[in-house]
This record gives sequence, C-alpha cells and structure tokens, in this order.
Amino acid sequence: MQGFPQSGVPGPGPASDGLAQLQATMHAIEVACTSIQMHINPAAAEATILSLCQSPQPYQACQFILGNSKVPNARFQAAAAIRDAAIREWGFLTADDKRSLISFCLCFFMQHASSPEGYVLAKVSSVAAQLMKRGWLDFTAVEKEAFFNQVHQAILGIHGVDVQFIGVNFLESLVSEFSPSTSSAMGLPREFHEQCRRSLEIDNLKMFYCWARDAALCVANRIIESNSLVPEVKVCNAALRLMLQILNWDFRYNNNSTKTSINVFSAGARHDTDSLKRFECTLVQPGPAWRDILISSGHIGWLLSLYAALRHKFSCEGYWLDCPIAVSARKLIVQFCSLTGTIFLSDNGQMHKHHLLQLLSGILDWIDPPDVVSKLIECGKSESEMLDGCRALLSIANVTTPFVFDQLLKSIRPFGTVTLLSSLMCEVVKVLTITNTEEETWSSVARDILLDTWTALLVPLDSTGGNAMLPPEGISAAGNLFTLIVESELKAAASSALTDDVDSDYLHASVSAMDERLSSYALIARAAIDVTIPLLMKLFSERFSRLNQGRGVIDPTETLEEVYSLLLIAGHVLADEGEGETPIVPYAIQTYFADNIEADKHPVIALSSSIIGFAEQSLDPELRASVFSPRLMEAVVWFLARWSLTYLMHPKEIREGNCDSGHGQAHQLQSLQSREVLLSFFGEHNQGKLVLDIVVRVSITTLMSYPGEKDLQVLTCYRLLHALVQQKHICVHLFPLDSWCNLAHAFANEKSLFLLNTAHQRSLAQTLVRSASGLINSEASNLYVRDLTSHMATYLRELSSMNDLKIAAQQPDIILLVSCMLERLRGAASASEPRTQNAIYELGFSVMNPVLVLLEVYKHESAVVYLLLKFVVAWVNGQIAYLEAHETALVVDFCMRLLQLYSSHNIGKISLSLSSSLLSEAKTEKYKDLRALLQLLSSLCSKDLVDFSSDSIETQGTNISQVVCFGLHIVTPLISLDLLKYPKLCHDYFSLLSHLLEVYPETVAQLNGEAFTHVLGTLDFGLHYQDTEVVDMCLRALKALASYHYTETVCGKTGLGLHIAGLKDPGGNLQEGILSRFLRSLLQLLLFEDYSPDLVSSAADALLPLILCEQGLYQRLGNELIERQANLTLRSRLENALQSLTSANQLSSTLDRINYQRFRKNLNNFLIEVRGFLRTK
Amino acid sequence: MSDEEHHFESKADAGASKTYPQQAGTIRKNGYIVIKGRPCKVVEVSTSKTGKHGHAKCHFVAIDIFTAKKLEDIVPSSHNCDVPHVNRTDYQLIDISEDGFVSLLTDNGSTKDDLRLPTDENMLTQIKDGFADGKDLVVSVMSAMGEEQICALKDIGPK
Repeated sequence: MQGFPQSGVPGPGPASDGLAQLQATMHAIEVACTSIQMHINPAAAEATILSLCQSPQPYQACQFILGNSKVPNARFQAAAAIRDAAIREWGFLTADDKRSLISFCLCFFMQHASSPEGYVLAKVSSVAAQLMKRGWLDFTAVEKEAFFNQVHQAILGIHGVDVQFIGVNFLESLVSEFSPSTSSAMGLPREFHEQCRRSLEIDNLKMFYCWARDAALCVANRIIESNSLVPEVKVCNAALRLMLQILNWDFRYNNNSTKTSINVFSAGARHDTDSLKRFECTLVQPGPAWRDILISSGHIGWLLSLYAALRHKFSCEGYWLDCPIAVSARKLIVQFCSLTGTIFLSDNGQMHKHHLLQLLSGILDWIDPPDVVSKLIECGKSESEMLDGCRALLSIANVTTPFVFDQLLKSIRPFGTVTLLSSLMCEVVKVLTITNTEEETWSSVARDILLDTWTALLVPLDSTGGNAMLPPEGISAAGNLFTLIVESELKAAASSALTDDVDSDYLHASVSAMDERLSSYALIARAAIDVTIPLLMKLFSERFSRLNQGRGVIDPTETLEEVYSLLLIAGHVLADEGEGETPIVPYAIQTYFADNIEADKHPVIALSSSIIGFAEQSLDPELRASVFSPRLMEAVVWFLARWSLTYLMHPKEIREGNCDSGHGQAHQLQSLQSREVLLSFFGEHNQGKLVLDIVVRVSITTLMSYPGEKDLQVLTCYRLLHALVQQKHICVHLFPLDSWCNLAHAFANEKSLFLLNTAHQRSLAQTLVRSASGLINSEASNLYVRDLTSHMATYLRELSSMNDLKIAAQQPDIILLVSCMLERLRGAASASEPRTQNAIYELGFSVMNPVLVLLEVYKHESAVVYLLLKFVVAWVNGQIAYLEAHETALVVDFCMRLLQLYSSHNIGKISLSLSSSLLSEAKTEKYKDLRALLQLLSSLCSKDLVDFSSDSIETQGTNISQVVCFGLHIVTPLISLDLLKYPKLCHDYFSLLSHLLEVYPETVAQLNGEAFTHVLGTLDFGLHYQDTEVVDMCLRALKALASYHYTETVCGKTGLGLHIAGLKDPGGNLQEGILSRFLRSLLQLLLFEDYSPDLVSSAADALLPLILCEQGLYQRLGNELIERQANLTLRSRLENALQSLTSANQLSSTLDRINYQRFRKNLNNFLIEVRGFLRTK
Repeated sequence: MSDEEHHFESKADAGASKTYPQQAGTIRKNGYIVIKGRPCKVVEVSTSKTGKHGHAKCHFVAIDIFTAKKLEDIVPSSHNCDVPHVNRTDYQLIDISEDGFVSLLTDNGSTKDDLRLPTDENMLTQIKDGFADGKDLVVSVMSAMGEEQICALKDIGPK
C-alpha cells in the first residue's frame, strides 16, 4: 500500500502493469470531476466517483491520485474515497494498514502545506481526523503519541509558517470530530462517541490548548512589531480559533473524582447547580485542572494586550476592525467572560471577580463612552466591536449576580456597570427611534443583546425573586431606561398607525418577537416599579382624555395605536403569562409599595382601575363605534385576560400560602399589608364582582357586536373566557351574575352567536359547560348543562325526523346550522368532567340516531361528515372511562354501526374532478376522517386500561379487544398505502396496530385470512417507512406477533395457526407463510438497507422470535448469504459471525428478558462485523 | 334562526333556491361560495384588516366546481356572500351511449338520460373503464346553479 512512487514515473518491474491501471483510474476520475464542473452528463460522472468510493480497498488508487493528479477536484474526491472506504472496511483492515493510512494523510497535508488549493488540504486533514477517531479506542498510547508528535513539531513552527498553520487546522478538525454535535456518525453507537470524547477531554484537550497558545505566542511578537500584513497572522488567527473551539467544548469530566462511569443517556443534563441559574446560555466550565493555563498564567492579560495592539494597527494596510484575526480575538475574549465554575478558587468569588474585572477593563474601550461610540458607528465605523462588547456584558451578566455585576465597574469608574448598561441601551434606543425601520439594523441587534443582558440580570431565580435586587443607582438607571423605551415604543406606534395592513405571516413572527421584547421591558419596569407604574398611569390618562376630547374632530388612529402599545406594555408589567399554571402577582409589585397601604392611593390599583374603566366604555354603542376599533379591542381583551388571571378574585389559600419568604420582619409585614390591600381590592368582598361583571359584558360585546372580526373573537373565546373558567375561584362568582346568564341564554338563542366562526362556537360551548364547576353540586351542574345543550340535541332530532330531509338537508343554510350544532356538541362533549358526565352522556345518547341519519344524508358533504366523526370521537373519549357495562355495550354498538356506515359509503369510491387541487383536497378530507376513526378505536381500546365503572364490562358480553379488532377490520380496507403517506395517519395507525398486537395477539389471530393479510401487508409497508418511530412500532408489533406464535406453539397450541402455513395463491403456487416473509424482509433490511442505528435493538427483539419460529428458513437464508460471498476470507468471517449471532453469550431458545438482551448484543456485534463488506458492491 | 329561506322560496325550482346569502366570516375552507356568478369550493381563506384600525375582510381563493378554474374574491367579514345550493344525487349507471350521454336509473325507477359524459379524457376513461369491466357502478351527480356533472363513482359490487 505504501511506498508509492510519488513522482508518477513508471517504476521498474512488476509495478508497471499496475501503474497503467492506476493511471487509467486517475484519468477516469479526473474526467469525471471536470465534467461535473462543466455540467456535462453529471449523473454518469457522479456514478464514476461513487464507484471509486464503493470499490473494495481503493487506497492505492486514491493515494496515487492524491500524489499525482493535477486536477484538485480529483484529489479532493480521492481523499473522500479513502474516508468512505476506510470507515466501511475498518473492521478488517490490518493494524498496519490503518496506521499507514493515517500517516499518509498527515504527511500529505504537511508536505503540501503551501499548496494553493486549501480545500483539498482541509479535506485530507479532516479525513485524517476521522480515521484517527475511528481507531481511537484501538490505538495504543504510543501509537497516538507518534502521530501527535508529528503534529506538535509542525505547530511549533519548525517547518515554517504554512506547516504550522496546517498543523493547527488539523487539530481544529480533530476537536470538532470529537465534539458530539459536530462529529460524523460513522455508523457507530453513541457509546463509542462518548468514550472518545471522554478520552480526548481528559487526556488531550488541555495539551492542544497549550500548543495553540504557544503557537500564537511565538508569532504574536512578529505581528505586533511589523507594520504590514505578515504571513504569521494566518497562524495566529488559526490558533485563536482553535482556542475558542476548545473553550466551546462541553466540559463534562471536570471533577476528576466521582464521575468515572457516566451514563450516556443522561449525560446531556449538567449536574452542577450553578448552571441551573441561567437558561439558554453556554457557560464554560473546564474545572480546576485548567486554572494554571487559563487564569494564573497571565494568559488573559496577554490576549487583551494582543487585541489592544491590533486596535492600533487598524489604520495599517491589511488590518481593519472586521479582519479575521481581530474577530477571532474578540470572540475569544467574549468567550472568556463565560468562564465559570470550579476553575476559580472557592475564595468567595474574589478570583472570579478579578478575572471579570480584567476582562471588563479591556472591553470598556469598545463600548464606553456610549454616545461617542454610537455616533462613530452612525458615521460609518463598523459596529462589530460594539456588538461584541454588548455580548461580553451579556456573558458577564450570566455568570454574576446583579450586585456583583454592578460593583465590577465601580473600582475603576465613578459609576456602576448597571449605569453603563443603562446608558448604553439608552443610546441604542435613541438611534432606533430615529431610524425607525423594520429592517434589522445594528441598533436593533444591540437592543436585543442588551435586553437579554437585562433579562439575565433581572429574571427572578426563585419565587422570592431575592436575587434580582439592584443597587439604588441601578434602580434609577432602570427607571430612566424604561421611560425612554416607552417613549420610543409610543413614537414607533404612532408613526406606524397609518401604514396599511402588513402580511399576516410576517405579523405573526414579529408578534412573538415583540412578546419576548415586552417581557424584557417588563423586567426592567419592575426593577424600578415606583417610577414606572405612575409613568404608565400618566401616559394612559393623557391618551384617554385625548381620545375623549378629540372624538369626532380629529382622526384618533395614532392615539389608538399608542393605547394599543401601552396596553401590551402594561399587561406585561402588571402580570405574568399564565399559560399552564396559575400566575402569581409579580414579586416586585407585591413588595415595593410598602407605604401605599390605602387602596385609593395604590398605584397598581389606580392603573388597573383606569384601564378597566376604559374597557367598560366599549359597552356604550356610540363610543364603541368611534373609539373602540377591532384592533384596540384585541388589546383590551388580551389585557383583561392576562390581568384577570393574576388579580381577579384572588383566592385566600394562595394569598396565605405564599408568605414565608425570609426577609426583614418589619418590611415583610408592611409589604404583606400592601399586597393584602391590592388583592382584596379586586377580591370577592370589594370590587371583584363588579370587575368580573364588566369583563363578562365586554366579552359578550366583542362576540355580538363585532361581526366577522375573527382575530378579536379568537382572543375572547380562547384567552379571556378560558381564563375566567379555568379557575374555580372565579367560576364560583360567574353564576350569580346576570351577565353570565345572559351569555348562556344568548348562546342558545341569539342568532348572532350562530354567525361566529364554528370553531369559536365550539370553544364557547366548551367554556360554558366547563363553568359548571362553579355550581354548588353535581345536580345543579347537570341541570345547567342540560339546559344549555338541549337546543342542539332538539335541533338535530327534529331535523333528522323531517320527511323531506334529503332535499332540505342540502340547503346551504341548513348545512351551516347543522355544522354549528355539531361543533357546539363537540365543544360540550370535550368539556366533560366527572360532575357533568351524566348530562353529557345523555346528550350524546339522545343524538346517537340522528348522527347516523345525518351521516347517511350528508355522505357526500365531507365537511359535515368530519364534524360528525369528531363529535363522536370527543364524546366517546370523554365518556368511555365512566360508562357502566350496559352503557358501554350501547356505545360500542353505536360506534360499530357508525364505522360500518362510513365504510359502506366510502369503500370503492372514486372522486372525479377536473381540478387536481380539489382531488387532493378530497384525499386530505379522507385522511382526516380516517384519523378520527382511528382515534375513536383508540378511545375504545382505553376502556380496558382505565375504567371507573362499578361492574366489569364482561357482564354484558362486551369484549373490547374483539370490538376494536372488528373496528380495525372495517377501517383498514379504507386505508390505502397511499393514505399512509400522511405522517400523522401513519403514526396513529401503527400505534393502534402495535398496541393491539402487543396486548391482544390472540384476537388479531382470529381475523379471517384476507383481513389478516391486509393488516400485515401494511406492517411490511411500515417497516420501510422513513419515520423511525413508525418503524419502531412495526418492529414491536412484529415481535409481539412472532413471540406470541412461538410461545403458543411451544406449549403445543396452534398459535397463529393457518396464517403461518403457506397459502396457495390463485395461480396454485404455494406462498410463504407470513412469518417467513417477515424474517426474510427483516434480514434484508438489516443487512442491506439504510436505517437509523437506534432501531437495531428493536429489530433484534423482533428478529429473535422470528428466527426461533422459522429456524429452517433462517438456516437456508444464512447458507445462501455465505454461498454468495466469493472472497474466501470474507466468507469465513461471515460464517463465524452468523455462528456467533445465534450462539454467543449463552443465547438460549427462550423468550425472556435476559435472552433478548443477549441477542441485542449479538446482533449489534454481528452488524458491525459484516455490514461493512456485505454492502460493498 | 333560519328565516332567510322564505325569501327565496318563490323563485326556486323544486322548492330550492340556487343560492343563499351567508356572512363572509362564517365561510370556511372547503365550504362553497359564488364568485363572479360561478359556484366554487373554497380552498383558502385569509383575513386581513383595512388599515390598522379598520374592519376585517376575508380573502377567498376558490375553485369552480365544474370548470376547475381558480377564482378569488375579497369581501368584508360582516357582509353577506352568496353560497350555492350544491346537491348531489346517486344513480345507478345503466348505459353509456355512443353519442356521449349516460343513462341513469333514478330512485323511483325511471331513467335519466340527459346527462352528458365529461369531456375530460381522464375522467372519461375512469367511468368507461369501470363500466366496461361489468361492475355495478353508482355515480354521484353534483348539481348547482343549473349545471350538473358526475363527481364520483362507486363500485357497489355484485350482489
């Protein structure tokens, strides 16, 4: 392999014949590479290159091409081919071969270090890195050392700058190959990568860092001394990049004591408490071993002075603010700001503070004084240095407390870091206000980084929020900043008010970005709550009075948009997002107004009341028409929803349960009183009921008086009303209100509520039914629900008994009304709770027949059919667990009739249309229907698992497994392989199927031959599906099937019986039994096709019982495989591998857990051993 | 709740009107709508506002159910749109005549012979092939605003 004549001159003797061959190969590859570039027959060219990669042992040819070809692309492809072939054949290369391949690559790029084709060198060095990793666990320490010695020599600079550069580059590829997120898979299990990473981190990483540092040190002086661009810059830049990459390493093994064996599956989570503090930021925690080189050696001082020296050179030729070396140096400095953890001595943070101060004083020049910096950037200076300065502040904020953060700067400046941060941000906001474009400018990037910094500082770490305290100076800085921010937002709002509607997609993206920004604003506002709440109050009242005075005289649009913005800001400041949990009153608001203990002076009460008062004005029709535009109402409704969740009718127990935060006694008492005042003001004995009434009336208004305003109604239905019924303590107060009864009455009778979007009607029905939890007892709740829903059932019953139903039903207005009723029914059904279960059951029961009648009548109206099915799904899903045996029997019978009816309408039906989009629409509708039917079957299935009824369902002779199996039998013929291409349907179908096969294999076995074959046909389809989860479910199903059969037959029973025996097809040929077919296709999949390595264990679980069931066939297939292998060495390897697959690790022929585990191990070894050469052509 | 139907009863044939008014905001994807005098199926609805603080309007993209042409319309959400009365009836297919007509068996036992076969090659072959195979075919005929067309067929199998 080695010792190839580098010159390309024909060697003497026997080599010359081989040489002609090599030259022919080289020529072919060169031609292929050129033709790809010229776009001449690229497919054929790609095939030529691929054949090189896939040919056995192509190393000689590849090395020849690398050494001799004049076409750089051909050299590149040759390197790629070495990589592909070596990774594939690694298992049976000799140790010498492996070593020589790596040293060939190393020598190659060092010898050609000055070659102009950098990409070829980079490829060869990455190939070397990958091969090194592939053999990492096999090589001895001496072997590795030999390689690294070579690299170290290069990095020391003995062979010149180019070799030094390429040496550093090689280490960069090596480190990225070992880092899990950037490594190549190489077809190996995760444990392998984990072991490599551990070994590199412990044994080599620090050494590499030192090498990089030394390389940078030895060229740095030359760079600083020279006045023009010198080649050493390249080396220094590469070294800085490598250092940055190493500092980006996800350090795991920094405590060299306890964590010797690490669980790879939980290794993703960090265990140290410090990192729990902040989210979404990378902390650099290399551990104490790194202290000497990173902290104590003056390394950082050197780095800062290097960058300072570079700054002076920016006027020189070849250097500028964004030149690569400056960028790398800045990135490294910023990375150092994130350094934390045990690398610092536990000296009360002194060492850490010193470290940060050193960095901060270096960074200060980039951002201070803010006004000068920002002016320079506006005049054309590059913004990157300033942005990196902001990033450094963010990193520092992430590793410190607000207090420490602020103190850092105090030792060298008269003000604290928070003040600097605030004035920096003020500058940025000013620039933003002036430019005011939608495009991304430097100022908007800077604003986002700085906002993140504020968030990092201010976000409360625990429920007491104690850590978020700022020093007094910082508080006033935050107050100023918030004032400026609000001003800027208002200005932006006013100027954008008259622009026309924006693209709605863009709007959604910007709304969520806006939301994030607003939460950061809110944190800043809460830091200086005593100024910011009064400020908001003032701004609101100014605008309210402007609206009132200018009514009918001046165009209010700008003011409306300002109020809109203010409502969003105020909502964020006053309350937290309540999604998923009960939000509590923000800590800052609970505690800061210690002196204002009278309700009428409490700023938060004043602000809330004034906004609620404003909202109440929308009830007046005249004001509504002139002031309350749909968009403004959206903000009002949004605010009310958010605010109500936090403040309205605050329950006693939460109020009392939360008092145990450990602060000063006197202060605590005062703040408790203040909170008490705040909460009781909007509680049940004070203004609470009044406010609740206003809220309900506002929501009725938005539903009835804003026809067709979908966005507004979405907010009302899904946010505001849900917020009210979500909490029991609010629910209780709803029923005594006339307004709530009006809403319920209007729902059943008012025409305008039938004109709402049907999905909103569903939500409204859900809300109203759910509010029953506020009634005293189950009787009252059931009565209320019956009243509420009777109109739906009555309508459907009357309609379905009409004489000319067939004609009338097709009228659009009837269809609309039916759709409304079905959506309402579905909403009500989905809100079923134990205390209303009775009423909902009766409701569904009373429309069972109408549902079947309508399914018949509307068989061509797919939209209605879908609604019918969805209602049944929701109803069954909500009821099934509670049903008594006789009820279950009724429901099951109903479901089966429904399935049969649906099937009889749709089986064999072909839609015809000229329009391809209508045809695909029809297909989508079918998919949705079938998915609903599968959900229905899954719900029925759950009866066997969760059952709250008093007697067993068996008493009525209902067998759930038979029912579901029968259902599946009806549904499967409708599911064509084409429809299974819809991922969700596919997923649902196979999860149901694998569940059935795993839990009730005996029932499935009772299916008739045709149905059984169809079901298993789909299983075969699923095995080759691209989604691994689906394949996994199919494998589980297969395992269940085969192991059922095996255990049954071992006991002398029939098992799958007839299905196993081969059937005769119509032509009279004997077909294979299904298990044989699956054994064959599973082996085919495992050995020859592509699949995710995660599937190997489940495949092993399926394969074992299959082999046990079909031992004869397995022997035959194994022999076939062996005979097909022409190469004798490979043949014997294959024989041995097959042998040990079924005999190694004391594998026995039982199907217990241990045996499965053993077989998994065997299969893994088997695949690693043979897949490489079996897949070679 | 459904008072409107009375207004249209008079001019309707067989007691049903050709179109009904319905608020634009209630028309959903997969519903029907009349655009430029043609019955269409809605394939896309989006809403937007006229100016930031204006009222909502709906933007419909729809496909003519007979000609498959794409049509678009913008209507304020609170205004009414016409919705076509789309009727579908199943008939058993008795015969396909040489001159391009089908012969269908109605519910009351008489035949309906006035329906032309579709001219589209693809649809035509689907119908003809099924018929030629000797299957028992049921065709669904879709009618709206005075036009009709075969929209689906179904093999009910030998009984």
